[in-house]
Amino acid sequence: MIELSRLGKKFGAITALAEVDATIEGKIIGLLGPNGAGKSTLLKCLLGLVPFDGSAKVLGLSAATHGPEIRDRVGYMPEQEAFLTGMSAVELCTYAGELSGLPRTEAMQRAHASLYYAGLEEKRYQPIDGYSTGMKQRVKLAQALVHDPELLFLDEPTNGLDPRSRDEMLELITDLPQRRGCAIVLSTHLLPDVERVCDHAVIMNKGRVRFVGSIDELRGARGRLGELIVQVKADPDKLAAALTAAGATVKPVTPVQLHVDLPASATNKLVFQCARDAGVQLRGIEVRKESLEAAFLRVIEAA
Amino acid sequence: MAMTGQIHDLGYKRYAGARRDAGTRWRVIMRHQIAMAWKTWWRFKAWVGMAVLISFIAGAVMYIFSNRMFHGMGRVGDAALMIRDVALPQSIAWYCRAAFITSLTLGGTIIAGDVQSGAFTFYFARSVRPRDYVLGKLGGLGAITACITMIGPVLLAGLRLGLCESASDLVDHLVLLPKALLVGGLATCAYAAVPLGFSALADSRRTALAMWAAYYLVGGTIAIMIGSISHTGWIAALDLPTAIQGVANHLFGMPLIGPRLSGITMAEGITSVVAQVVAAIAIVWTAVDRAQKTGIGGST
Repeated sequence: MIELSRLGKKFGAITALAEVDATIEGKIIGLLGPNGAGKSTLLKCLLGLVPFDGSAKVLGLSAATHGPEIRDRVGYMPEQEAFLTGMSAVELCTYAGELSGLPRTEAMQRAHASLYYAGLEEKRYQPIDGYSTGMKQRVKLAQALVHDPELLFLDEPTNGLDPRSRDEMLELITDLPQRRGCAIVLSTHLLPDVERVCDHAVIMNKGRVRFVGSIDELRGARGRLGELIVQVKADPDKLAAALTAAGATVKPVTPVQLHVDLPASATNKLVFQCARDAGVQLRGIEVRKESLEAAFLRVIEAA
Repeated sequence: MAMTGQIHDLGYKRYAGARRDAGTRWRVIMRHQIAMAWKTWWRFKAWVGMAVLISFIAGAVMYIFSNRMFHGMGRVGDAALMIRDVALPQSIAWYCRAAFITSLTLGGTIIAGDVQSGAFTFYFARSVRPRDYVLGKLGGLGAITACITMIGPVLLAGLRLGLCESASDLVDHLVLLPKALLVGGLATCAYAAVPLGFSALADSRRTALAMWAAYYLVGGTIAIMIGSISHTGWIAALDLPTAIQGVANHLFGMPLIGPRLSGITMAEGITSVVAQVVAAIAIVWTAVDRAQKTGIGGST
């Protein structure tokens, strides 16, 4: 979907992107990074708006030479307000569709469908100037969808929303790839949002991509398959004693869960063996994952 | 808004049709510009009405007093001019006034308004290029201004042809039509491009409007004063309505009497308007090109 090869961008003496190499795939991809990490510059490069070194391909098209074609196939929901004064939501979305190359009638039909999908219903005929923050966010989503994009860039889509509106927006974002078949790049500071909706993540820091992969890989990306959460039916102490005797480090998590750090060369077979020897029934065993926040901080700090 | 969190779907299907070529986007912007202007009375319709009134009054004077001599309160000196020949060039100043008011309600705020509302992000996240935006805005504003500055003079030229007494007289006066088109076109370019240029100089509508009004009213008056005192035509021609009136008087054979117009040659009038239009377009282009490169992307 997105291929970056030695992508570089400098603004004077400041290096915004430093030879970025990455292949980004997924349905909903979280684009994460602290301020100044290069996320906005990366978006500009991907949309073909600024010249850059190296190469960037979006949906198989070169961003350096096919910017307008890419922007016809990509939807962008900006963080800041980006409306035209004096227009209703349906007028704005129709205009957006036409600017993306749709015939007027098609643009109007799709504007109604997008706004209805985004939950604006009859309010789509009212001027946007009088909308609440939540409604404006929905209009921004609808205008990004109206031209049937294959890829959506959402920039802080839940900014300024109350908890209920935030839930609704995240529901829409989760639903989009299934119902409309488009992939989403979600640029946000809110790690709980990413944890809830994203299946992949890209972490940037100081102009470089520090991590690309699935959320599961990110959270379990320490390469420590020997760090496990083990659930038992009863008698966790017996299993803990057996595992400790075998050289593992064991800590209770809940009355029926243990955090097990296996010795370096051991695999999870050791847990099964110890459970059999101790006569303890296992109910679950999984590789322990970090919280997304901890994983994010680890990646950033390692950089 | 749905407060239940329910997701609505009217039966989504992917768009399988062809997309219009990127080179046609300027026409969408132009049409939108005209449609938005037409939405309100005070932005455009009222001033079109003013232009219609000017045309009606000038046409009525031309028709009713068609055989009378024009004395012009002594401003034409010894020239022997008929009222029917004078009504058209004399009406140009009034069309310019209507066009200036329209530039205050529309043209002087267009780009600043787009900056203020974040519309650049809306445009440039799509396949709109700076040249599409500039061409669309200029085309839209040009069409709007032409309704005021071009249609009236051309209609008056047509009426003057209707007042011709013989076929040979008609043939002699046919040249009035391209002359009216030229003056109307010059005024259209001036009142579309120059206020648009000022609207690109500021980030707020009020500032842009104040700058344009100051340039037009104060700057223009200063240019006329310096031009009159120094008898330098090109300085007086820096005032847009003076330059346009000077060109009109040359084209329609009106004498250039009076402190405002004295000494302005046709070349000076045209050069002044063209130079200001080119400078304005350059300003607009630079501002829009810069906005495209910086306007996308959040603060994250």
